[in-house]
Amino acid sequence: MSQINRISSGLIDQSKTLNFTFNGKSFQGHPGDTLASALLANGQTLVGRSFKYHRPRGIFSAGSEEPNALVELRRGALQEPNTRATVTELFDGLESFSQNHRGSLERDLMAVNDLFSVFLTAGFYYKTFMWPKSFWEKFYEPMIRHSAGLGRLSMQEDPDTYDKGFLHCDILIIGAGPAGLSAALTAARSGVRVILADEDFLLGGRLNAETFNINEQAGSEWANAGVAELASMNNVRLMTRTTVIGAFDHGIYGALERKTDHLDSSNGKPRQVLWRIYSRRAILCAGATERPIAFGNNDRPGVMLASAVRSYTNRWGVTPGKKVAVFTNNDDGWRTATDLAARGVEISAVIDSRRIDPPAHVSGAEIHMGGQVTDTSGRHAIQSLKLSNGKTIQIDCLAVSGGWSPNVHLTCHHRGRPQWRDDIAAFVPGGELPPGMFVAGAAGGSLSLGDILSEGHSLAQQAVKAVGKPPASDDAPRADNELSNTSAFWHVNHGRHRAWLDLQNDVTVKDVKLAHQEGFRSVEHLKRYTTLGMATDQGKTSNIPALAIMAECTGKTIPETGTTIFRPPYTPVAMGALAGRARGSDFRPRRLTPSHQWAEEQGAVFVEVGMWMRAQWFPQAGETHWRETVDREVLQTRESVGICDVTTLGKIDIQGRDAATFLNRVYCNAFAKLAVNKVRYGLMLREDGIAMDDGTTARLSETHFIMTTTTANAVGVFRHLEFCRQCLWPELDVHLISATEQYAQYAVAGPNSRKLLQKIVDPEVDISNEAFPYMACGDITICGGVPARIYRISFSGEMAYEISVATRYGDALIRALMSAGEAFNAIPYGTEALGVMRVEKGHAAGNELNGQTGAHHLGMGRMASQKKDYIGNTLARREALCDDNGVRLVGFKPVDKTRSLAAGAHFIREGHTATTENDEGWMSSVAYSPTLGYSIGLGFIKDGQNRLGEIVNAADPLRNADQLVEIVSPHFVDPEGEKLRG
Amino acid sequence: MADYTLTAQSPLGGFCRTFADTELSEVTDRAIISMAIPEGGETAFAERISSAYSCEIPKPGQSLQSSADDARLVWMQRDQFFLLPKYTDHNVTSAVHEKLGDTAYLSDQSDSWVLLRLSGPQSMAALERICPIDLYSESFPVNAVSRTVMEHMAAVVIKEGENSFILMGLRSYAHSFLHALETSLTNIAA
Repeated sequence: MSQINRISSGLIDQSKTLNFTFNGKSFQGHPGDTLASALLANGQTLVGRSFKYHRPRGIFSAGSEEPNALVELRRGALQEPNTRATVTELFDGLESFSQNHRGSLERDLMAVNDLFSVFLTAGFYYKTFMWPKSFWEKFYEPMIRHSAGLGRLSMQEDPDTYDKGFLHCDILIIGAGPAGLSAALTAARSGVRVILADEDFLLGGRLNAETFNINEQAGSEWANAGVAELASMNNVRLMTRTTVIGAFDHGIYGALERKTDHLDSSNGKPRQVLWRIYSRRAILCAGATERPIAFGNNDRPGVMLASAVRSYTNRWGVTPGKKVAVFTNNDDGWRTATDLAARGVEISAVIDSRRIDPPAHVSGAEIHMGGQVTDTSGRHAIQSLKLSNGKTIQIDCLAVSGGWSPNVHLTCHHRGRPQWRDDIAAFVPGGELPPGMFVAGAAGGSLSLGDILSEGHSLAQQAVKAVGKPPASDDAPRADNELSNTSAFWHVNHGRHRAWLDLQNDVTVKDVKLAHQEGFRSVEHLKRYTTLGMATDQGKTSNIPALAIMAECTGKTIPETGTTIFRPPYTPVAMGALAGRARGSDFRPRRLTPSHQWAEEQGAVFVEVGMWMRAQWFPQAGETHWRETVDREVLQTRESVGICDVTTLGKIDIQGRDAATFLNRVYCNAFAKLAVNKVRYGLMLREDGIAMDDGTTARLSETHFIMTTTTANAVGVFRHLEFCRQCLWPELDVHLISATEQYAQYAVAGPNSRKLLQKIVDPEVDISNEAFPYMACGDITICGGVPARIYRISFSGEMAYEISVATRYGDALIRALMSAGEAFNAIPYGTEALGVMRVEKGHAAGNELNGQTGAHHLGMGRMASQKKDYIGNTLARREALCDDNGVRLVGFKPVDKTRSLAAGAHFIREGHTATTENDEGWMSSVAYSPTLGYSIGLGFIKDGQNRLGEIVNAADPLRNADQLVEIVSPHFVDPEGEKLRG
Repeated sequence: MADYTLTAQSPLGGFCRTFADTELSEVTDRAIISMAIPEGGETAFAERISSAYSCEIPKPGQSLQSSADDARLVWMQRDQFFLLPKYTDHNVTSAVHEKLGDTAYLSDQSDSWVLLRLSGPQSMAALERICPIDLYSESFPVNAVSRTVMEHMAAVVIKEGENSFILMGLRSYAHSFLHALETSLTNIAA
């Protein structure tokens, strides 16, 4: 099919031809075309169906404000719905499809909705689907959901990748139209770092769509030369296809760069990059958006914004029609008539709602000053229009201009409210702008080229000064100020026909009046009741006319009526771009333990612990259930010896003359007199007296300690200690550094642990019970001189050691330990067996240190020193935290030992009802004890220490699993600690 | 002769890969030791650094290259510096203690970090995708150092030369850290 509407080459490259399809039909276009310009060139006026009434719709605008021409691009998993044809750059092989119709685009079965439009007014579904009640879930909701939305998702994973990034500049210039280019040139010539970003692939903005001259040069040529100058400067970063989507705090802007959307394939590179731009100053040069006038049947294909008609003709060499009429309320609309006439397009009529002298001469056109369009006709495209005087004019394109709305969006992202200017009948940026932001050109309400250029120039000078540099002494670009008078005329009152405001959501003038009638009068209510200004275009063309009509209804002024809140993003952003790389296994980084590779080789099952991957258990051949594996790991450890990677526990290297004093203040128990080469268990409280973390701390010398924390609290404890050191006691000589990563550390537990380690340590090292008793520690050498540190501590309740080496030896050490352990049938155990053994031994862990429990609750009340001051000391004395009758950590075993206990059960005295008043505590941790052969639990119950042997109900109404349990000592295994010390 | 011997492993096994003219390689010939100045010991420390390493104490945000042991001194935080000498044995603490005596609290950090060198014309473009700090010469000159976060991972960036950076990540994150950098280099490649 030939390009019947292509009348010149405009700014496209006609030497090359690009093939593309629309609904399977083949078309041709050229480099520089958008999908919209190419469709118009080929005479494809009908491109989609409207949201609610399924009315035929055509291309309405030439930019990102497009409400109508939403299409699906590409196929299969790459299919993307709701893309705007007006900003889709044409490439060879592009496949596009119309959306929101059943059957063909031309014969959409859903168009029947249009016949029932009288029932489908704003809020119809709030009123319609009320009865019968039972129909809502099964019938109405699925039906509405089925009808909702426009395009279809592929329902497959997006095969494209996305990325993010960070950029820095002195001055960010948003928009590369006349104001932006003028500002960028001056800023760049001043030597500051400039980023110039524009959503278009061709920089120049309206200069490429108009026939203006700058410095006696065609506007588009001036833009082209300016861009070339900027591109040659290494202090400038030009970003085409980049939309600045939001103004955030501290001069930070979000920007979406479309890297490969204009290409046939992404070739494995990120399709889009979401940038965070740090700017010292920003100049918003986002231009303005033309708005339509509402009149009867103003939604037919062929009814377009006047500036868009001009853009297609001047920039893309395409006339959207052969017989064009213009309906305007301002001078700017006339330029569409004169520009098209100059290119030989027939202008049938110019209708201006103002009763003034015609501002221009348009040869061959009927001129109707004070005229209004009341109706249009034509099934799939406009064929004629009807004037208020009853006259009908045959046309195939109607260019409408209702004036311009400055793109104030980014100025409002910090909740700024725009201000109304009567002279241009538009909102302009007002109140407080985001700090560091200037607004130049049409975005600030300047609608004539001469003003726009000099504003860009002078604001750039101001911004350069503001970042501390002298501005360049260049002259502002010169241009005439074209006529730009306008009037406030929003909609034609004649006739009964529906007059559209929001083409995307099928909101008409009548809907706004209905919203008013039904009491939804605030703009925010209006928006939500009628869906005005929602979806991909966010009402860029419709919001202002709609609120002007609401103002008419309420008798208020437009500024009194106000606008809805502007929020980022300025234009739609793919969810993939927001996710960036953070997908699948890249969602977050992983920390691997020194034994990770070895554990993988053993077929370990891993569990995420924070960012760490820890071995949860090590299944052996023939084991069919995790419990089978874990039971074996526990029993074998208790019978002989087991090895566990405990590297993930936080380790903090603490040095300084006052290190002992420091520890004495952060732990609730005494530390000042801990002997060198000894380890002590410590409990740390929060300032409010609640337990924060526990662990062991070893004294390596008079001035040197190493603290361990729980895995989960490693960072939190370090931060807390830094706070104490820097803010509470800056006078102390204490220095902290994390050593978590520095040492690979393994627990070697079980009756044969010493024998195993004796095969590893160097011959001169004595780790006999006499030389190295329980709670000893020391620096030793192993395996022929490798420095290591050994601690005689136990979490399992067995005789146990923890041995640490520099992480570089971590992999080698686990292999050496396992090899040395063969003689004892040593096994590795994972976090699950670790957990079982700690419950058997009655050690508190995260479930017990849950932010509700203090030292007394944990049974460590006597450990908390009365003789010194420490963090939490004062508030731990609050009655509820040290009440003798308060809850205490004790053990529980089921009366019926065949049953499993469940954490979360609450304890109720036998015979009492399970109510909140009767609640005596809760079960915090449970495990199946392979050592005992039944389920055991730890939990908190009132006065627990004095109730051993009592039977209580572990109420579990949610799981319907109440059962009787016996209160026992929390130390299920080796209560006297003989094994530990053996 | 011991029954078992332990062989040291670097975090990434000596990784090295080039992306066109830009190279990403693991640095394996460095020890890292943290030096913290005892309260009131600033002068004594400065004197020992001066005599042992013939250089001053780096200022905040700065690192300095010493001729002794090819060491780099890096400012890390108030009263805390990292020394990165050319040294691969595991007893760097005693080696440095010989030079500095008790003028600083020493803590071996050699096994806490993975060190990667990113050098070549695409270095900045690659870092743009993950590194939030401004690495341009004016704001981040050669020898500048900064702590930052890349892809949720704590990191230290040291500018060795124009288009050459030492990137320090935590050792347990080594593979994720490398993956982040490799992805950046792949994503920007033409």
